[in-house]
Amino acid sequence: MRWRHFLEGYSFVGLWIAGFFLFMAIPLGRSLYYSFQELKTSREGLIAEYVGTLHFRAAFTVDVNFLPLLRETMTTMLSHVPLVLVFAMICALLLNRHARGRMFFRGIFFLPVIIASGTILKKLMEQGAAQLPIFMQYDLYSKLRLFIPGDGLVTLLEYSDSLTLVMWDSGVQILIFLAGLQTISPQLYEAAKCDGATKWESFWKITFPMILPMVFVNTLFTMVNSFTKADNGVMNHLRTVVFSNNNYGYGSALGWIYFMMIFMLLGIVFLLFRKSLTSMEGRG
Amino acid sequence: MKEAPLDYVKRNISGRLEAGLRHSAAKRSKAIVSSLVYYFVLLSLSFVFVYPLLYMVSKSLMQSWDVADATVRWIPTRFSLYNYQVAFAEMKYWQGFLNSVVTSFGSAALQIVSCSLIGYGFARYRFPGYGLWLGLLVFTFLVPPQTIVVPLYMFFSDLGWINTHLPFVVPAAFGHGLQGALFVLIFIQFYRRLPGVLEEAARIDGAGHMRTYWQIMFPLGRPAMLVVFLFSSVWHWNDNFQPSTYLQLPPFYNLAQRMSGFYGKANMSAEQMSQSISAEAIGMAPTLINQIMAGVILSILPILLMYLFVQRYFVESVERSGIAGE
Repeated sequence: MRWRHFLEGYSFVGLWIAGFFLFMAIPLGRSLYYSFQELKTSREGLIAEYVGTLHFRAAFTVDVNFLPLLRETMTTMLSHVPLVLVFAMICALLLNRHARGRMFFRGIFFLPVIIASGTILKKLMEQGAAQLPIFMQYDLYSKLRLFIPGDGLVTLLEYSDSLTLVMWDSGVQILIFLAGLQTISPQLYEAAKCDGATKWESFWKITFPMILPMVFVNTLFTMVNSFTKADNGVMNHLRTVVFSNNNYGYGSALGWIYFMMIFMLLGIVFLLFRKSLTSMEGRG
Repeated sequence: MKEAPLDYVKRNISGRLEAGLRHSAAKRSKAIVSSLVYYFVLLSLSFVFVYPLLYMVSKSLMQSWDVADATVRWIPTRFSLYNYQVAFAEMKYWQGFLNSVVTSFGSAALQIVSCSLIGYGFARYRFPGYGLWLGLLVFTFLVPPQTIVVPLYMFFSDLGWINTHLPFVVPAAFGHGLQGALFVLIFIQFYRRLPGVLEEAARIDGAGHMRTYWQIMFPLGRPAMLVVFLFSSVWHWNDNFQPSTYLQLPPFYNLAQRMSGFYGKANMSAEQMSQSISAEAIGMAPTLINQIMAGVILSILPILLMYLFVQRYFVESVERSGIAGE
C-alpha cells in the first residue's frame, strides 16, 4: 500500500524529474564543464581543450566590460528591490479596499504585467515613453510652485521621474500581495478595532506579520526578475560573448560567475527571512 | 436643589443624541475626505500606468509633420493609419503572428497541462526524495536561463531543433520552459488548498489515481490555470532572449523579434535622412517614432486584446488560486 502510494506520487512528478535532467541538470553540468574548456569549432564539430580556471581569471582581469556591468546590476538591484516592495505593498493595500470601481483599477494596475515584460518596455524607455515627461516638463513645476516651496520640489520631481520605472516593474508583486491580503480574515481587524487599535497599529500588528511570507516571495521574485530582465547589462554582454564572438567556454564561465553571485545574494535574503518565517509556521 | 427625575432623563438623552449626531457628522465628512483622497491617488497612479499606452497610440497615429510640429502634442491633425500599414508590411505581420501564437499560446497550453499534473503530485503525495525534488524545483526557479543557454543551444542544435518551435514547446510539455518552476509552485499551492474529500469519494467509487486526477481534480484547477495561462502566454510573447537564441532565420521570427528588427531599421533610415538633410534644417532631426510606435502597438495588440477579455476572471482567479500561499 505504501509502495503504491510512492509509485502514484512519482507517476505525477516523474514528468518533471525527467525534464529536470534533460533541461536543467545536464545542461548545468555541461555548462560547468565548458567553463573550464576552450571550445573551438572545426570540421568535426566542437573541439574542447582544458584550460583550467583561465576563463574565470579572465572575467575579473582581462574583460573590461564584465565587472562594471556586474556592479551596475547589483547596485540597481539593491536600490530597486526595496522600492518595488514598498510601492507594490501600497498599491495592494489601496486595491484591497472595498470601494466602488476597484475591479476597474485592478485591471489598470496589472497592465504592466502585460506590457512591461521583455523588449517592449526597453524600446519604450529608449524613446522616453515609459517615463512621465510631466514630472520634468510642461508646467507642472510652475503649478506646484504655488504649493511646495522651490528647493525640495526639483528633487521631488526627479525622484518621481525614476519612480515610474519602479511602478512599471511591480505588476506581479502587487498581484502577489493582493492575493496575500485576501487571505487575512477580517475578524482579526474587527477584534483589533474593538481593543482600540488604530489603522496604523493594526497594519503593523496584523497585516505585516500575516503578509511576511509574501514579502519573502516578492523579494525573491523581484531579485530574480531584475537579474534576468531584458535590459540587464550582464545578460546582453553574455549574449554578445556567446553568439556574436562564438566564445562558448568564456560565456559559460561568465554565466556561472553570475549565477553564483545571484545564488549568494538569494542565500542572504533567505537567511534574513528564515527566522521570521519559522516563527510564522503553524498558523495554517 | 434636587432635579426632577424626568428632567434629568430628558436632558441626558438629548445631550447624548446631540453628541452622537455631531460625532456621526464628523465621521461622515471624514469618510468623504478619505474616499476623495483614495480616488485621487488611484486615478493618478492609473494615469501613470496608462500614460505609455496613450503616448504610443497618439504618436502612432501622427504623420511626420505632426511629430515635427511642437504645437501638436496629443491629437494628430489628420487621422490616418498609414504608419500601421508601413509597420504591418515591414514586419510581415501575419507570419510573425503565427510564430508567436505557436511559441506562446502553444507553450502556455502545454504548461497548464504539465505543471498542473506535477503540482498535483507534489501537493498530494509524500514519497521518498520529496524534499529533495521540491528543493530542486525552487532551485530551477532561481537558475537564470543565461547560465545554461550554451549547452541547451548545443543540445537543441544536435537534435536539429534550431529554427523550429520545438525548443519552446517540448520543455513546456515537461513542466519546464519559461518560468515553468514558478507555475508548478502555483499549482502546488492551489491543490494543497482543495479538500481531500473529493478524491476519497472518487477512490471509493473505484477510480484509479490518474482517472481521479484527470476527471475530478484537473477540471477544478481552472482558477490556477487561468493565472498560469495568462502569465505564461504573455511572458512567452514578450520574451526576446529565447527566440533570438533558437530562431535565427527571418521567416521564423516571432513578433517581438520582428519589432526589434523594424525598430533598428527605422532608426537607421531616420539617421540616413538626417545626414542628407541640409544645414538649415538642423535641429529638426527626423525620427520615425510614429512608425516605431505603430510597430510596438501591433506587436502587443493580440495579448492586450486577450487581457481585456480575461482581465475580470484573471483578478478573481488570482484571489482564488492562492498564488501567494506560504
